Amino acid sequence: MTAATEQASVNECLLKLYDEQHEIEDYQKGVPRWCSGCGDNAILAAVQRLCRDEKLAPEKTVFVSGIGCSSRLPHYMNTYGFHGIHGRALPVAEGVKLARPDLTVFVNTGDGDCCSIGAAHWIHAVRYNMNMVMMLHDNQIYGLTKMQASPTSPLGLKSNTTPRGTYLDALNPLTVTLGISNVSFVAQVVDWIPELLYQTIAAAYHHKGFSFVRIVQRCPEWLPKLMDPWLHDPERVLLLHHENGLRVSTDLTRTYRKLEEHDPSDINRAREIASSWDPIPVGILYRDENVPCYEDLRHDTRLRTSDLIRNGLEAEFDKFTVWPETVNA
Amino acid sequence: MQIDLQNQLAFFLTGRRSSDSEPRPSAIRPALFARYRDLTELRYDFPLVIAHGAPPEKTLRSLSRMVDDAALAADETDRLRLARHGQRIERAVRKHLAAKGPGDFATVWHSCASELVTEDAVIGDSAMTLWNSFATDGDILDADAAMPARVVKAAWNSVQAEKAKQFNARTARLLHALKGILLAEDIGGGAGRSPERLRSAVGSSFAGAFDFNELSRILVSSKPATALSDSRRDRINQLIATIEGQKFYTESGESIGFVFDNCADAVRSHNERRAEAVKLLRALAIAELEAAGNYREKTHDVLFENYGHNGLELSELGQLPDYLICTDGGAIDAAETARIVEVLAAGLPFKILVRTDDVLEPSVVAEGHVALGLRSRQIVDASIGLTDVFVLQAAASRLFANRARLLSGLSYDGPALFSVFSGANGHTGDFSPYLVAAAAVESRVFPTITYDPSAGGDWASRLDISDNPSTDDDWPVHRFAFEDADLQSNSESLPFTPADFTALDDRFARHYSVADDISEAMIPVDEALRSAPLRDRVPYTAVVGEDLKLRRALIDNRLLREAERCRAMWHSLQELAGIHNSHAERLLAAERKRAESAPAPDQSPVGGAPVPEIVTAEPETVAAEPSSDDPYIETSRCTSCNECTNVNPKVFAYNDNKQAYIADADAGTYRQLVEAAEGCQVGIIHPGKPRNPKEPGLDDLLARAQPFL
Ligand SMILES: Cc1ncc(C[n+]2csc(CCOP(=O)(O)OP(=O)(O)O)c2C)c(N)n1
Ligand code: SF4
Ligand code: SF4
Ligand SMILES: [Mg+2]
Repeated sequence: MTAATEQASVNECLLKLYDEQHEIEDYQKGVPRWCSGCGDNAILAAVQRLCRDEKLAPEKTVFVSGIGCSSRLPHYMNTYGFHGIHGRALPVAEGVKLARPDLTVFVNTGDGDCCSIGAAHWIHAVRYNMNMVMMLHDNQIYGLTKMQASPTSPLGLKSNTTPRGTYLDALNPLTVTLGISNVSFVAQVVDWIPELLYQTIAAAYHHKGFSFVRIVQRCPEWLPKLMDPWLHDPERVLLLHHENGLRVSTDLTRTYRKLEEHDPSDINRAREIASSWDPIPVGILYRDENVPCYEDLRHDTRLRTSDLIRNGLEAEFDKFTVWPETVNA
Repeated sequence: MQIDLQNQLAFFLTGRRSSDSEPRPSAIRPALFARYRDLTELRYDFPLVIAHGAPPEKTLRSLSRMVDDAALAADETDRLRLARHGQRIERAVRKHLAAKGPGDFATVWHSCASELVTEDAVIGDSAMTLWNSFATDGDILDADAAMPARVVKAAWNSVQAEKAKQFNARTARLLHALKGILLAEDIGGGAGRSPERLRSAVGSSFAGAFDFNELSRILVSSKPATALSDSRRDRINQLIATIEGQKFYTESGESIGFVFDNCADAVRSHNERRAEAVKLLRALAIAELEAAGNYREKTHDVLFENYGHNGLELSELGQLPDYLICTDGGAIDAAETARIVEVLAAGLPFKILVRTDDVLEPSVVAEGHVALGLRSRQIVDASIGLTDVFVLQAAASRLFANRARLLSGLSYDGPALFSVFSGANGHTGDFSPYLVAAAAVESRVFPTITYDPSAGGDWASRLDISDNPSTDDDWPVHRFAFEDADLQSNSESLPFTPADFTALDDRFARHYSVADDISEAMIPVDEALRSAPLRDRVPYTAVVGEDLKLRRALIDNRLLREAERCRAMWHSLQELAGIHNSHAERLLAAERKRAESAPAPDQSPVGGAPVPEIVTAEPETVAAEPSSDDPYIETSRCTSCNECTNVNPKVFAYNDNKQAYIADADAGTYRQLVEAAEGCQVGIIHPGKPRNPKEPGLDDLLARAQPFL
């Protein structure tokens, strides 16, 4: 350390001077194929705004997804992306993070993708607590495959797979996540309040660890009226705010006047809040900065040279190689 | 006035002694040192072990602590035996080092142990168990003139080894990235898709199954080749050559040719290597940008052309080895003192050890003048005055205790000065250098001082004198137990002042006069300093002679003045370190006075903790909406769903945050405004009044617009 401890080196400042500025359009790729009015658009706009504001280098940013309408999001990001297989976004994202901890990793998944076929990965991802942002686009339906009930569909919802209505209570992604060991960040937000959506994803991005954000997302195609009562009645939204959580603007509180000051370190209150649905609580429910990240615990300092990789692979393949000598012996 | 007192006063004022009959002053020593002549019988933190190849914090170790730790780590059944035997070997080691000087740790330990085996056969076994538990190869040494340099060099080496490790890891990472860029071009470019390369990639087993010419043609035509610009390829090749060709660290982590014994040689060497250092650091900085894909020729070329012209920053230079200068105690004269300060002032990564063997050196300017510890004090004060030099002043006896500070100084990105008093000079009879060094600290003649510019911006964070004994007081005070004339045990509190320290030194004998009797006029040195002016009193300090009898030695005025100067210097150190700060004390006194005269404030009740509750915010006066004649969008609520922008992108456009607003109401029809309002899922489009009264179907449109006005 030098005498001027807090002063960044002149060198660093000079190099920063020439940092590249990106506009929101720089992060946009192609034309989204979502239905018009779909809440996924709002999520896309929010993450693009975050990328611009945080000056994320497109070549250092990865969006990973599974399968579903929501999982198409990486296609519309002009960054690296991985449109994976159904339910398996998280293992892919974990692999990316483990091999390249320098990359910023986002995961976009749906309620079907995450809460049915991918549920096992979800639980373990929370426990691994790897530094990434997971956005659960929860439209309470299988959208892409044209309206089958998902685990988060409300009780009694009629769908192609449940023509007489569902028989089971909806699974609550928040209470599940809050019950898993090592949980370090849980938030909920709705797609139709853009400022909150942006702020919540930004807070998730700034949290070091696995940040779980459930986004209540409208699917105007299959469930056009489902969220209308909440959408049109600001009294049915409960804003969670705190000096260590979201700080909401007066602009917002003018419309959304139901407020609760909630300290995100209070897990018991977080669980209570998570269990309620009407009004929909939005904001940061829980945050613990001190949970270690798996990639730090398992940090490998070796350079990933082609030799290292080749030798590692050879060693693995050798385990399954049938050696002619051993066969003859 | 009694004859006795008159003589004593005469001695105090002039240094003239009345008779030769009193015991030879050179045979006296401070009473507190009565028991410490043969240090080899005592257990303390010396000798030190310098461990080879250990991380910085484990490089300097204390033998007695190693023995204790090893015994503690053993099974309970063996613990006591190991501790006992360990201490016996330790004692033998101390004797060995005192007689033969430093040596190889293994050799000294085992040879001392084997000599003891003749007395007790099990010792050999204990020695081996302890040795295995030490798991340390290295050198063992006691405090002598050469010790400070060996300790500082060892610590410096360990810090450089750490740096080398980081440097080598960084260069390996950068080289990997740079070569990766070239490799990517090779694989993605024409060469990687040539028929030959494709053939060699497939290997021999299936070579016959492919038409490699055709495969190559398809691959080349299907995807454009990756190509670097010539300038980028050249630059990357040059970076690789510069980084691979660097001569500052070896692959095994050594830094070669950075240790010097005088300033001039070090400065010359630094200047000779400057250009090379600039070139390497520049290459590393560019390589970082290249590796991250952030090098932009248009902007960075100019920047790097001038790299280092304005001097290099210490944080940059800090990646390369530091220069270590170990000056020899005897060789420092006024000229070298000035040179040292000059070098430190240049703000270069020079670490300088100034070893002093004698802090009681007579002044070269004024005959008969005594000035305690002045030479080293000059350098230390000047260095602290430079404000960006890390300074550690410590006597050799405190070096081990201050090893963490030593390492901080060596790791500091900037110049550092280590001023060490070895205690090894020929004037202290058979007192060991360790004891002399310890006495210098105890008497405030050579206090431990740490000044760390990286610790913060003010004196309170930078200056640290906490290593000294009794930092709040003028002098450390010790209980001294003795038997009185009636053979009764008795004890007395004795301060340790410079007048005690100089009693160890034969050159100062003439400043003492040992009294046969005790008189009312005698006053201890510390009290004498507090009660100036002295009237008809003579200051003394407690001493013992060869016969171990407690006596009073009167001191002369010159020595008293010198003790006073040491105390004044100590006071200024205390103030800077925040102890008894005169400004603060004055302020405090004034505040107290004011507080006493002011009435007591009201006690306000303490509020309880807030309980979570849901509150409903009071509706505020809503800002005036735009006139409903003009169409508008509540932009901040827009969910960016593309619905309206698809209706007419000229009318509906996105702002910087990708939220819709009416860009040009006249670029479309009223019908489009109404349809967009109906289509907007969140209902935030307000179509206003029609702008063209002739638009067909207006009646119907106005009715449909009604809910959105
Ligand atoms: C292994 C596998 N099983 C089933 C499917 C069919 N499938 C595609 S998307 C999907 C459900 C997606 O629902 P959700 O994750 O909620 O995404 P949404 O479309 O609602 O955003 C299913 C079952 C598949 N692609 N792969
Ligand atoms: S089906 Fe639903 S979720 Fe899928 S794109 Fe359409 S609106 Fe969006
Ligand atoms: S239709 Fe509404 S929500 Fe969609 S982009 Fe237009 S204004 Fe925004
Ligand atoms: Mg879904």
